[in-house]
Amino acid sequence: MVAPQVLVERLNRGVSKRNARWTFVRDHGFGDVLTLRRFRLGNGLTVLTLVDRSAPTVSYHTWFRVGSRHERPGKTGLAHLFEHLMFNETRAHAHGDFDRLLEGAGAEANAATWTDWTYYYENAPRDALPLLVELEADRMANLVLRAPQVRSEKEVVANERKLRVDDDIEGRALELLYATAFRRHPYGWPTIGWMRDIRGFTVRDCQQFYRTHYSPANATVVLAGDFDEQKALRLVQKHYGAFPKTGRVESVAHPKEPSQRAERVAQLRAPTPSEKILLGYQAPSFCDPDTPALVVANEVLFGGRSSRLHRVFCIDEEIALSVRGSISPFVDPGLFEMWIFVREGKRRQDALALLDKELHKLASGGPTQLELEKAINQLELSFLHSMETAGGKAEQIGFYETVANDGSAVFSRLEAYREVTANDVKRVVTKYLRPSRRTRVEILGAQA
Amino acid sequence: MSLFVESSDVLPLVDLEVAFPVGSLQDPAGKEGLAQLSGHLMRRGPRGLSQERFEDALAALGARASVEVSMRSTRIRATVLRRNLGALLGLVARMIWRPALRERDFAKLVRQARASLSARLDDDQTLGALQFRRALFGKHPYGRTLGGTASSIDRISVERVRAFYRRQIANAEFVVGIAGDVTERDARSLIADHFPPLRVCRRRDAKLRPTRVRRGRHVVIVDKPERMQTQLFIGTLGARTRDPKLFPLIVSNTAFGGTFSGPLMQEVRGVRGWSYGAYSRLLHSTQRDAWYMWTAPAAEYSADCAALQLTLLERWVERGVARADLSFAQRYLINSHCFDRDTASKRLEATLDVELLGVPRRYVDEHDQLIGAVTRADANDATRARISTQDLTIVVVATARDVAASFEALPGVASLEIVPFDRV
Repeated sequence: MVAPQVLVERLNRGVSKRNARWTFVRDHGFGDVLTLRRFRLGNGLTVLTLVDRSAPTVSYHTWFRVGSRHERPGKTGLAHLFEHLMFNETRAHAHGDFDRLLEGAGAEANAATWTDWTYYYENAPRDALPLLVELEADRMANLVLRAPQVRSEKEVVANERKLRVDDDIEGRALELLYATAFRRHPYGWPTIGWMRDIRGFTVRDCQQFYRTHYSPANATVVLAGDFDEQKALRLVQKHYGAFPKTGRVESVAHPKEPSQRAERVAQLRAPTPSEKILLGYQAPSFCDPDTPALVVANEVLFGGRSSRLHRVFCIDEEIALSVRGSISPFVDPGLFEMWIFVREGKRRQDALALLDKELHKLASGGPTQLELEKAINQLELSFLHSMETAGGKAEQIGFYETVANDGSAVFSRLEAYREVTANDVKRVVTKYLRPSRRTRVEILGAQA
Repeated sequence: MSLFVESSDVLPLVDLEVAFPVGSLQDPAGKEGLAQLSGHLMRRGPRGLSQERFEDALAALGARASVEVSMRSTRIRATVLRRNLGALLGLVARMIWRPALRERDFAKLVRQARASLSARLDDDQTLGALQFRRALFGKHPYGRTLGGTASSIDRISVERVRAFYRRQIANAEFVVGIAGDVTERDARSLIADHFPPLRVCRRRDAKLRPTRVRRGRHVVIVDKPERMQTQLFIGTLGARTRDPKLFPLIVSNTAFGGTFSGPLMQEVRGVRGWSYGAYSRLLHSTQRDAWYMWTAPAAEYSADCAALQLTLLERWVERGVARADLSFAQRYLINSHCFDRDTASKRLEATLDVELLGVPRRYVDEHDQLIGAVTRADANDATRARISTQDLTIVVVATARDVAASFEALPGVASLEIVPFDRV
């Protein structure tokens, strides 16, 4: 590979517009053999490159620092609606061109929105890279927002909401959990938005949102896979270099959610033969120093068939069909979610008592050495699987860059897991997994 | 040769697959679920190790293992950190060839299987897919569910599972695949250390009568309360794996409903916003499997969506695909084929399908040529020959009172049946 300073010098030769000039920021080792390089265009666009020739494919990710937390009451779901609108007409391309051109090139394109971010990606054969750069740059600056497109996508999103929330037991329960647990912070409203808000969006809302959040300085492009770095950066320079410089959108400081002192309980009824319990314990942010220990605790409790809670709930006591846990990977403090899928004929109260007993046991006794070893090895396995494809690598880099401000931090996170001790696990379970810090959603059968 | 290796040193990971040519098609009538229960009981571990100690040993290696039973195969899949490959092979070999098959574990497994059948009622898309196959294939084995039913599971004893294991797995031929950070030489040596001798694996396809289509358009409503959204499946018989019209049909179906920018998705979602997704799928097996369209429209316009899809279907079959659309589908299939082989485990999977399922080797080796050679006449002839516009199964998961009248009024409907969701 060409030294980055030499590369930047070549790329900037003859380029007079400041917004189109490259700066090399730094590089980071990415595992044993790969290097992640960070460049910045004069207009503020950050570009991370990871050349990996293990397959003839390339992945192109564009992460924007905008998610549902950047919305306001009455306009919830706007960030997610945008995820849909961005596949429509631009000043250069008619409606439908975007997908048609990419699919013809053999590329897969999609997008995702959550609380803190929105990202768009293409996984494509390596020869398609010029097309990806052209189309992504085009829709960052030239999206056409008119009434027919907005109306049609609102209908699609309303249908998506019915599919994933209103008619889906887990979707409804999660929405109720976050709405009950967060009384001040925007994490309390659903990323897909409330139905009345979705119905009410105007073209003007969309135009304003686009102008505010879709700009080079608010985005990170991640390029991973089999490509020529110099040619790729030249393409980015050509297609994004004319965009004006804007400041990064500073996130409004959201009110901190007060520490919860008493358990909150909500119920919902659904046509289901078996009861379910969804719990959300107030948890630290993704970058908090306590989070790695809590992730290890989650693995000890829920990580596969040898985990404590699977064994107790599903094998020994046969009180649940399955159990699972996860920690919301948010910029601000989120929730440690736990699901218990109670078996038909068993009582949810018994399941909850059993959970409390097991959490108390872990808080007082900590994990065994074998449990720690299993947890670390399983986390390493999951990490490696997430890195199998160019798309997997780009996603990890984009996520860490956007949430932790460092695309290469995925490796230091794995090191942090390895350093977790039994005492760390005891401490964080004691600190965070107390009944008074949780919100509980009980899902009851329609006839219960 | 029954060991296949796909080496890749990109990551210190290895995937292992041990596959037997036996699946749910070997389930005796009335004992549906036998193959799956047998596989899952084997997964509970070998003699001399409790289930708990077996799971601990796997997890401590940084490994995961599963037993996946399909209609025609039982596949034991495992993935492990490279440094622990030898130890994993030892554990997996004990699990397969010295399984405990304990009565106590079996009793728990049966209770778990019943609970899983019950939990399935929460998933509308799964309910729709199961009912669609049942309605399309009737009593043919393709209409069965892998996991059986509550009553068929009740008829299966642990002795029956042990007998199934002895006959179908214990001394049976098998295929081994290893993908990832291991050389072919090391893989062969490790397999020889831990596994029984490898022999040529001959497929033992169950003798099946051909699938037959039911004449006319038949609607089945899976009745579930409080549905705002519906799950809609419309389809008929598709093709056999060795059907000479398979590749023309793959290209034609891709042009119709296999991409985001195709007419099915564009008319349903792009123009009307009626469903979050809309696609058509072509399945193939030793006998003609299913071809179907899936959408998820809101209840208030579910029948309108079905009517639109029927019109699009008729247009596709009668007029055929345009030259530009055909060429687009070919480019899409050829260019995106790199994602079927961008990891060692995907390349291995394609090889094992050839060995195990009788997929012709040239389908893998000459994929791009086979796709590229399809002419417009081939594609349109194949569509007309295989896809019926009149003999259709229409399954909708919905609240019956909200949609029954409008579905009954769809053109050409010969019958309408309502099935309670907890009877699927």
